[in-house]
Amino acid sequence: MGMTATEKIIARACGLASVKPGDVVHPNPDLVFLHDGQVENSKKMLDELGIDRVRNADKVVFVTDHEVIYTTPRAAQRGVNIRSAAKTWKIRNFFDVGQGGHGHVFPIETGMVMPGMFIFANDMHVTNFGSVGAFGLRAGSEVTSVLAMGTLWTLVPKSVRLTLNGKLRPGVYGRDVGFRVSKHLAGGTKGDWATDITYRVLELAGPGLDEFALDQRVALCNTPTEINAINVFVPPSKAVLERIAAASGKKVGDLAPVYSDADAQFEADLSFDLSALEPQVALPGAPENAVDVSTVVGKAVNHAYIGSCGSSMYEDMVLAARVLRGRKVAAGTRLFVVPGSVQTAKRLADEGLMSVFQEAGAIMLQSGCGPCAGGVLGLMHSGEVSISTAATNGAGRMGAKDSECYLGSPATVAVSAVAGKISDPRSLAY
Amino acid sequence: MSDNKDDFQWRLTGKCHKFGHDMGHDGPVMNFKYVIDRVTDPAILIPHLFEESDPEFRTRAKPGDIIIAGRNFGKGKAHVQGYIAMQAMGIGMLCESMPFLTYRGAISVGLMLMAECAGVSDMAEGGDDIDVDFSTGRFVNLTRDIKHDFPPIPEGLRDTVRLGGTKGVLQHWWETEGRKAAA
Repeated sequence: MGMTATEKIIARACGLASVKPGDVVHPNPDLVFLHDGQVENSKKMLDELGIDRVRNADKVVFVTDHEVIYTTPRAAQRGVNIRSAAKTWKIRNFFDVGQGGHGHVFPIETGMVMPGMFIFANDMHVTNFGSVGAFGLRAGSEVTSVLAMGTLWTLVPKSVRLTLNGKLRPGVYGRDVGFRVSKHLAGGTKGDWATDITYRVLELAGPGLDEFALDQRVALCNTPTEINAINVFVPPSKAVLERIAAASGKKVGDLAPVYSDADAQFEADLSFDLSALEPQVALPGAPENAVDVSTVVGKAVNHAYIGSCGSSMYEDMVLAARVLRGRKVAAGTRLFVVPGSVQTAKRLADEGLMSVFQEAGAIMLQSGCGPCAGGVLGLMHSGEVSISTAATNGAGRMGAKDSECYLGSPATVAVSAVAGKISDPRSLAY
Repeated sequence: MSDNKDDFQWRLTGKCHKFGHDMGHDGPVMNFKYVIDRVTDPAILIPHLFEESDPEFRTRAKPGDIIIAGRNFGKGKAHVQGYIAMQAMGIGMLCESMPFLTYRGAISVGLMLMAECAGVSDMAEGGDDIDVDFSTGRFVNLTRDIKHDFPPIPEGLRDTVRLGGTKGVLQHWWETEGRKAAA
């Protein structure tokens, strides 16, 4: 019986010949990511137990992306505690303030995350690493156990295969696919596709996948994660492998990508026609509340933001700059742009794109989560409306409980910021 | 904390506090402020448990009480502040269904939880006297004379709950194996 890519990755990480869904195993991770919202609590717990060391400290990565520039005294205190933990535990891969950037974005760009890797992280958007054909498992606060013991009990998940057919129309992007696919899956067995995606791996396949470059694969991973898929696995194409090889300084032949066997078992086989898709907007309240953009055009927006784990790769910034070149953000709308990495921010400056954003009147922020981190910066007041590429949009996520967060692709958000109201990205030439 | 497995009380008897379906954690269960501040201290969290959905909960709830909820409890981000508060208050929980990551998060903070209780919403109303044995799955509504067997806490996870969650598990591991391995 063949295995899915996910089963193979987990089996290898456990030193087993094979695993199947439902097995409880203890994988040895290739990497362990903690962001700045988790380190302090992990240190506190292990200190209280007298556990003074971390297993395999060289595999542990500390990133700073949720509260990068400390807007409160508590945040500054937390920063001191994080640096102390990194020093005590001898964490070499420590990306402090202003280093690295978003922990689920820069490791893809630098080639730190490789196809076939098994990765634990505290945060759910470790699923971004599915874009390079790795398996990132969210451990939440249990990542503390991984620090101490080196592993964590893991239930092998089932996989659901989604075949993408056709080609995207102009103005339609990876985030749009993610919103619409998640809407179909959100109802579970009672939903459009009558399939439960909770704790399943959504494995993508099909000829339609070919046009998705690495940045668009990252985009695809975002929204299914929000509806509790445990990973989104995107089998690496030749182009993606070449890109990873170039970024990491390795040869393509040295990479070890993993693919599902022809006779692997999937719990369900679904398909999606890319060519029928309109640009989408997620209505306030849930990222899976996807509607065609035409149903909400005209809604005035006070606040806009391009970035987050779903849309802050270099190419996302290039796309936004194409829209904003020679145009201005509307009066009454404030647009924040958050590059996913310090490296991307530097490229934008070197290539003149930073000026494009600034000429347009956008506000450049430090690399990281930006306003999506939840009440940390770029807040809205009661009654204000936002459109952004954030990962999530629950009530109050970016400020007042009755402010509204719409979600869209970088193109939709950029075009809307220029118009001052939610707009179809195809309404402007770029 | 006693390491004697036989001492642990798997049975809770108390009042039912009833909630509906699709209750997300951030907001309805615990005010988002305490979530985004990554608070883990029960003393801070307890006064705010269910504050936005049921402001009287705080004054009504007593140790031994049981929360009974519907489908998809804890949907969305699998944050644990609400479950930390419940566990510290000595309250248990039954729900019809729960996303897996939410479930493991709640177990990891030592909550007495049975999350596959299909139909339990129809078996109790707020204020009923309830008796639940979390190791056998036996549910009794003393007020309405309803008895039912639900899937109990799985055997493989009972040590985790008995020890009070991940922290207790780590403490036990460190004392029995880890400290020696590190030396």
